Amino acid sequence: MAMRRFALLATLALCAPRPAAAALRVVSSIPTLGSLAKEVGGDRVEVESLGKGYQDPHFVEPKPSLMLVLNRADLLLYVGLELEIGWLPPLVLGSRNPKIQTGELGNLDCSRAIPVLDVPTTKVDRSMGDIHPQGNPHYWLPPANARIIAGEIAQRLSQLDPEGAATYQKNLAAFNLRVDAAVKKWQPMIGKLRGVKIVTYHKSWTYLSQWLGLEEIGYLEPKPGIPPDPDHLFRLIQSMRAEHVQLLLAEDFYNLNTARLVAEKGGAKLLDLPTDVGAKPPIKDWFILVETILRQLFAAV
Amino acid sequence: MLILLLALIAAPVRAGSPDGGMASAADAGTPAAAGAADAGQDDEALRRELEKALGKDAAAAAAAGQGQPAPPSQAPPSATGGTAPPPPLLRGAQSLNPDMSVILDAEGGYQRRPLQFLNGDDPLLRGEEGKKSLGVAVQEVELAFSAIVDPYFRGDVFLTIPNLEGLEVEEAFATSTSLPWNLQVKGGSFRSAFGRQNGQHLHMQDFTRRPLINAAFLGADGLRGPGVQVSWLAPLPFYLTLYAEAFSIGAPDEPAAGTTLAPPVATFGGGQPDDLTYAVEAKAFFPFGDAWSIYLGLNGATGVSPGLFQPTAAGVDVIGANRRSYLVGADLYVKWKPPNVAAGYNSLAWQTEAIWRHLDDAADLPGGWDGGLYSQVVLQVARRWFLGVRGDVVGIPTSSSLGQTLRGSASVTFQLSEFARVRAYGEAEHVVSGPSAPRVSLAPVVPGDAVAAFLQLEISMGAHGAHPF
Repeated sequence: MAMRRFALLATLALCAPRPAAAALRVVSSIPTLGSLAKEVGGDRVEVESLGKGYQDPHFVEPKPSLMLVLNRADLLLYVGLELEIGWLPPLVLGSRNPKIQTGELGNLDCSRAIPVLDVPTTKVDRSMGDIHPQGNPHYWLPPANARIIAGEIAQRLSQLDPEGAATYQKNLAAFNLRVDAAVKKWQPMIGKLRGVKIVTYHKSWTYLSQWLGLEEIGYLEPKPGIPPDPDHLFRLIQSMRAEHVQLLLAEDFYNLNTARLVAEKGGAKLLDLPTDVGAKPPIKDWFILVETILRQLFAAV
Repeated sequence: MLILLLALIAAPVRAGSPDGGMASAADAGTPAAAGAADAGQDDEALRRELEKALGKDAAAAAAAGQGQPAPPSQAPPSATGGTAPPPPLLRGAQSLNPDMSVILDAEGGYQRRPLQFLNGDDPLLRGEEGKKSLGVAVQEVELAFSAIVDPYFRGDVFLTIPNLEGLEVEEAFATSTSLPWNLQVKGGSFRSAFGRQNGQHLHMQDFTRRPLINAAFLGADGLRGPGVQVSWLAPLPFYLTLYAEAFSIGAPDEPAAGTTLAPPVATFGGGQPDDLTYAVEAKAFFPFGDAWSIYLGLNGATGVSPGLFQPTAAGVDVIGANRRSYLVGADLYVKWKPPNVAAGYNSLAWQTEAIWRHLDDAADLPGGWDGGLYSQVVLQVARRWFLGVRGDVVGIPTSSSLGQTLRGSASVTFQLSEFARVRAYGEAEHVVSGPSAPRVSLAPVVPGDAVAAFLQLEISMGAHGAHPF
């Protein structure tokens, strides 16, 4: 009986609709990039992410099991600008996958066409903290940048899988239309946020602030990657009060004990926000991610 | 074997490479002109034709004595979909220089009695053997260079100056990046993949000194030297990589005449110049959820022991020379680290490694088994604070070449940033017994106790490559 049931299940499994056997395997460093690849690739791609949406993308553990994921990849998508420099390179080397090594078609640095912000204009050194010499890598939230990333992915998928080129271009056009519609829908929320003064935990909201017209007054970290110290927080709280800062933004993967205190003392509201697809189970794509952030911001001002 | 590997590295056409993609692009001009099967056959035929043509080119070039490497594949220009082009990088931001970094480990410390199993990168305080010493040491200066060499290799060079005594090549190797069939080749001079500690540089350690078993069985500088390694990532549902290595290990330095402290019996580096040291390793990794990881290793090695260097008043006697030696080892690394710090900055890492050795009989020194192990736990208690404890034992069992020594160590590490840390380290060592062979017991060990304490500063400057798990 058990045997027959197994045979039946096996038959069903074989008959069940599956993605085309030749689907391209796309592996992304953060889930948002994978989600954008899914928008563009549709059924022609299978997407997997190395980092989780509830994880600090600077500090993913370079577990050897991730080499196995990369070993089977046809295309690797990463944020670039040295965001993943602390963990991705040894995984790519250890994957023993020639297709995704630097310089190959299967290796796409998604920052290539992004108008990068916070590019240092003077000589940098580590006294400035754990800075990114090539500019701020937290660029994937504004719609304009999502369009650029999707465009880059569509072009690269077309090169890897020329037979799907028309599909990718069609999906990209549909994605861009959806972005237009979403931005239109979000407009009332966006309008209300312009000029709102904020403080953030890490300097990772710059692109969002630029898009929404938020005014960044300061940061909990005295310098990127350096934990807050009392002197710095004291000065920050003073300027929050003086400037009437309304919101303190922090990613939901940080420990928020300090942020809670600073928000309370500085008279601001603390928002722990997702920054990546998968930060919470309902955040399944870029649209839901951005809308979740906008709704929380809108509700708080 | 080598010729086969070279041929693989140089092979210009690889399955699924960008070249393959471009060939398909050419076909895409006539969509649906043929069935999928036909298209596959056409592709295969075209691939064979290209291989043949390129083979002829290569042969012609070789005949003319001017073989040129295949041009690297070009990443296409970006498509921005009508958006503004990215701003050009600042002048000077682009560089083809390798990533360069310098790492300094320095400490002030105290130790009573010289320590028996000294690693090359252990801090060396000035002072006479057998007496107390107090002072400051520069444990190591490491210079690291790494770069992608070309589409086929990555290169890494690590130079080290341990205790300000001469520049050594800790590692200098090339790693292949384009071999098919999940293979990777490493060539040059490098640290063996034997065990977990051996492959790690000093600044990856959680304690100021390396474990006893490293110096006792792998040598003062660890199992490293000129060699070649082939590794293979098994296509399994879990991570398993197999390594095979061959090294030309040189004989260890003889101790100075008159010294009372002899090095332990070296496992490798004896015999004739063509006696290679061979090692094989298997590493398997199992994640359990987001936070838990288990990393397992099984290791084996064989070579020729150079024997025991026994200092005498007149010079150095060598006994038990040129015996075949065998090592077997196992290592276990269990880590708990939540994927984010929302609930707190805590993590836990437990690492245990054991090595057993067999030395064949020599005319003047009986052989047999000996072994040792260490186990350590490192607990992250706050964002910047790590506490570590470690227990070490060598001489289980004792042998004619090795007595029994126990050691306990503790460390408190304060990590100021990703690039600087300060560590307080203390250890107590108890020498239970010397080696059992009567002649050997003259030499290195007088049973007794030793203590040491160090305050260590470690800084890292420049662009240093990420470390593996």
